[in-house]
Amino acid sequence: MEKKQVHSRRLGSSWLERNKKTLVLLSMAAPVAIWLLLLRYLPMGGIVLAFKDYKVNPRNPSFISNLIHSKWVGLKNFAFLFKTNDAWIMFRNTICYNVVFIVLGVIIPVALAIMMNEVTKKYVAKTYQTLMFFPYFLSWVVVSYFLNAFLDAQYGMLPAAQRAAGEAVTSWYTTKGPWPFIIVFANLWKNVGYTTVLYLAAITGIDATLYEAAAIDGATKWEQVRYVTLPHLRTIISILFIMNVGKIFNADFGLFYNVPMQNGALFSVTQVIDTYVYRAFMVTGDISLSSAAGLLQNVLGFICILGANTIVKKIDEDSSLF
Amino acid sequence: MKKLLSVLLVCVMLVGVCSAGAFAAGGELEPVTLRIWFHGSTVTPDASAKVMEEVNKYLADKINVTLEPIWGTWGDFDQATTTALAGGDDVDIYFTCNWSANEYNKYARDGYWVKLDDMLDEYAPELKETIPQGIWDCAITNGYDGMGIYGVPALKDTATQNCWDVNGTLLAELGYDVDAVCEAGLDYYSDEFEEMLQAAKDAKGADFYPLLIEPVVLERMVTHSSIITGDLNNANMLSYYYDAEHPSNDTGATIVSKYESEEFAKFAARTYEFSQKGFISPSCQSTATSNDYRTATQASAEYLFGTQSYAFGCELDYSKARGIDVRMVPETAAYMDCTSGQGAMMAVSVTSKNPERALMFLNLLNTDPVLMTMMNYGLEGFTYTTNDDGTITFIDEARATYSPWTNGMGNIRILPPTDAQGADFWERFSAYYDAAETLPYGGFIFDASEVETEGAALANVFAEYAFNLMSGAVDPDEALPEFQAKLKEAGIDELVAAAQSQMEAYLAG
Amino acid sequence: MTRKRKLRLNAVSPGTEAVIHVILAAFSLCCIIPFIFVLIIAFSSEESIRAIGYSFTPLSWSTEAFRYAFDKLPQIWRSYFNSILITVVGTVLSTLMCAMYSYVLYRPDFRFRKFFNFFSFFTMIFGGGLVPTYIVCTQLLGLQENYPALIVPLLVNPFNIIVMRAFFKSSVPLELIEAATIDGSGEYNTLFRIVAPIAKPGVATIALLNALAFWNEWYLSLLYIKRNKVLQPLQALLMELQNNVQYLNQMAGQLGAAAIAEAAKMPSQSLRMVLVVLIVVPIACAYPFFQRYIVAGLAVGSVKG
Repeated sequence: MEKKQVHSRRLGSSWLERNKKTLVLLSMAAPVAIWLLLLRYLPMGGIVLAFKDYKVNPRNPSFISNLIHSKWVGLKNFAFLFKTNDAWIMFRNTICYNVVFIVLGVIIPVALAIMMNEVTKKYVAKTYQTLMFFPYFLSWVVVSYFLNAFLDAQYGMLPAAQRAAGEAVTSWYTTKGPWPFIIVFANLWKNVGYTTVLYLAAITGIDATLYEAAAIDGATKWEQVRYVTLPHLRTIISILFIMNVGKIFNADFGLFYNVPMQNGALFSVTQVIDTYVYRAFMVTGDISLSSAAGLLQNVLGFICILGANTIVKKIDEDSSLF
Repeated sequence: MKKLLSVLLVCVMLVGVCSAGAFAAGGELEPVTLRIWFHGSTVTPDASAKVMEEVNKYLADKINVTLEPIWGTWGDFDQATTTALAGGDDVDIYFTCNWSANEYNKYARDGYWVKLDDMLDEYAPELKETIPQGIWDCAITNGYDGMGIYGVPALKDTATQNCWDVNGTLLAELGYDVDAVCEAGLDYYSDEFEEMLQAAKDAKGADFYPLLIEPVVLERMVTHSSIITGDLNNANMLSYYYDAEHPSNDTGATIVSKYESEEFAKFAARTYEFSQKGFISPSCQSTATSNDYRTATQASAEYLFGTQSYAFGCELDYSKARGIDVRMVPETAAYMDCTSGQGAMMAVSVTSKNPERALMFLNLLNTDPVLMTMMNYGLEGFTYTTNDDGTITFIDEARATYSPWTNGMGNIRILPPTDAQGADFWERFSAYYDAAETLPYGGFIFDASEVETEGAALANVFAEYAFNLMSGAVDPDEALPEFQAKLKEAGIDELVAAAQSQMEAYLAG
Repeated sequence: MTRKRKLRLNAVSPGTEAVIHVILAAFSLCCIIPFIFVLIIAFSSEESIRAIGYSFTPLSWSTEAFRYAFDKLPQIWRSYFNSILITVVGTVLSTLMCAMYSYVLYRPDFRFRKFFNFFSFFTMIFGGGLVPTYIVCTQLLGLQENYPALIVPLLVNPFNIIVMRAFFKSSVPLELIEAATIDGSGEYNTLFRIVAPIAKPGVATIALLNALAFWNEWYLSLLYIKRNKVLQPLQALLMELQNNVQYLNQMAGQLGAAAIAEAAKMPSQSLRMVLVVLIVVPIACAYPFFQRYIVAGLAVGSVKG
């Protein structure tokens, strides 16, 4: 619609001039486009790997020659993902955790951003924000050390407290119950600062006069949030939502591998596709297997993203991704 | 195959000295740059540059080679080499073995390594002589170009012996006759063993855990099972039970599923019992903390019995480092099989433009004490000083910056002994390892690629149960049946059947 | 006086604000405590760690690990330099590229807008995988053993492009661009002089995210920096240590006595934490720089300007 308007307005100008503008805009897109072409599209030929039993051709050991030379095995490389009845557990875990992350990952950062926006002393707000970003700097390995300081059966603070109180000591790393909560909390704790910044930047972009007008019309603070802030955040929320849905079959490896200290007794609540594939890879050393798993995750994610985009499009045309 | 190791000592000494002249005509060779990728190194860029300057001067004269080492570390080796190999990187020689991600047998099968059989005679005659036939036999694998040698095995601690690491000082404190106890040997299932642990626990208090275990080692040690070469890497599924006193005795060619065996059930029950009695620290029961804990506990000598995969002479080092009387009580006799034979190797990559020269380099590295010493220990005056008796003393600060993984590099028996080891160390070392008996069927190499799908699933089942059972963290009455059911589901039977039929084919010829 | 009243005019009630403070302060505390914990370990003595593990209340304190890091590890300083260089160059380039591309996508009158939108979006979902990308980088682009190898593979993030476009959409009115075009402003001029300043919070946010990505990067170093390890950034140095320790833990059963001897070579546990501290502090200090722009319009209740 808007496109037409602009075109009609510029109808008077010559074809060359319009073409010049397109060329200039193309030149702006060029660096990223070239990068994507080289580092993303060119390697996509490697997707074939998922359907091959990759072997080297010693007579001409270049990747392409190896790839052509390797045997086509169809869907065999995908079989290991569905080998046991436990397979559904890792799919269930991956999806369920991601759904929780997506839902809480919208509500909490938006709430925090709005709250932070209401703090009258700017430097205090800035301090909060700085502190919230700290977890993002720490790797999952370090986080696992930290958690272990609380939960370690021998030295941990919680078991020590239990011993002091004369209670039975909980063996945290073999007790499944609390782990879904620990995982969800750890994920939010680490990523909330990051997402909050995005929302905060979006809120900052809102024209202050809108709030003033609302206030003069007698809108309460809650109504201002409801009718001014949230509608303005709609686009960014939808975008983040759609993009996270696309990653619903991918899990944060470090979180699920390191934080539970790789303890097998917790697998029914911590095993996700990525940790399963990693363990399989370490044993077989076969890059075709990981390629196959990655491709499956991507295809499923792509289907989900199309679905999510369609839903968002139905609700609000402007907020959809494409 | 037996006793072929016995010629070893002579070979090492003679060939090592002779080799210096063999390729003296280095000037006639084209200058070539070789890249070699090591494992487990702790080498800083500055130290590497300093040592390589001397190494390259030396190599230029010998074989006209400039060496560009890649000092792979423990943590990055697997990920970086598998990517580089799949990507066809310009690297001439890779470290490989049967426990790293670029597993020797699999990568030979998939065509990554150059078959060396025909080249060895021409380009590495001394090397061929130096390494005993028994170890060369272990390098023979069914590779891309048929059965043959695809890598140069390292002549290192080529035998396996599992020992109890006994804190003699504490045992004496508890009123035991240390010599008598060590002489009689220790039996994991005996009442005496338990009594000693209990006595230590009672004497030292509730926070003291007398049994310091490395669960995987404990299992192999107590049940007398060996690793089947080619079994799932780091997730062993198969067992071959040998005669602990005379490992070379033929106990039959049957490969069994480890976790479905009676031996394992008995072991798991006993370990759980010890764990419940407070003999095993909870820190030993977590893969993430066990190694740090073990290192710390050994250093402070806060244990009674430990598990140790024996390395020759280690009790002396440990006694000194821990300030106690460390005794090593053998649980099994020392034995040789291809799992130890393939423990560290160097393979020439098919992407190498100069495979001949790469082999010549390996030849020199394994037979020339000057080169091996420079590569492994650094430079005299920089990382070490030489003593009058021929031993060397490390300059600790510099050695910390140049410390490749000694055993991973090749023939370590041509290195000078350190002052801690003593002047006749390598004679004693060789005598010990060469006396090891060879396991029957120890040359069998399992090719798990036909059951890869099952292997991938089994690895995850293993990660879920095996460590917890072997460390006594979970009750085997509940966990073991679950574990076994899941193994069945993941295809353990196919894996065992594949191994058994390959074993039969191996025996047939 | 009037200004003060105006400030409070559209603010939440003091009671509500107190509640907000409690919530935010509690969460902030949660976020900072682990870092304080890391600091405590870094200053704990090795004996204390051996005796009671990681603890908030170590038995004894020591600055040994810090002194060791600064005196004995020249690579730390070089890695610091590498990290800063990579982060600065990478952030500038990636933010610039991202802004230009997003601007093009934001222009509704751009003929190939839909195509380029999908062109970048698609790569967020599908990739060729590690090995093919590695081959393109090393063999085609020569990204190996040099600084570009640590920068180029991270330059574009489709996620940032989409977010940046959203920021442009929500904060820059189209009429402004049309007006600028009529005034004879070139496209580049319009982007850098008119659009970017208005969308400053958005641009600063993306720049921050880029800076973090470059600062935290270690995997590129593992893949592409093997012979020339003087180029290792700080985070890669830390990850190498952590991975070594973790690997030796896992392989203890296979390596036997070697694992013990090798584990003894690893730096002390407090030294590992010293590295964490060294990594976190500079980026945390750089944070307020970005924050200036992001939070510039905060507390909208107060009048702008």
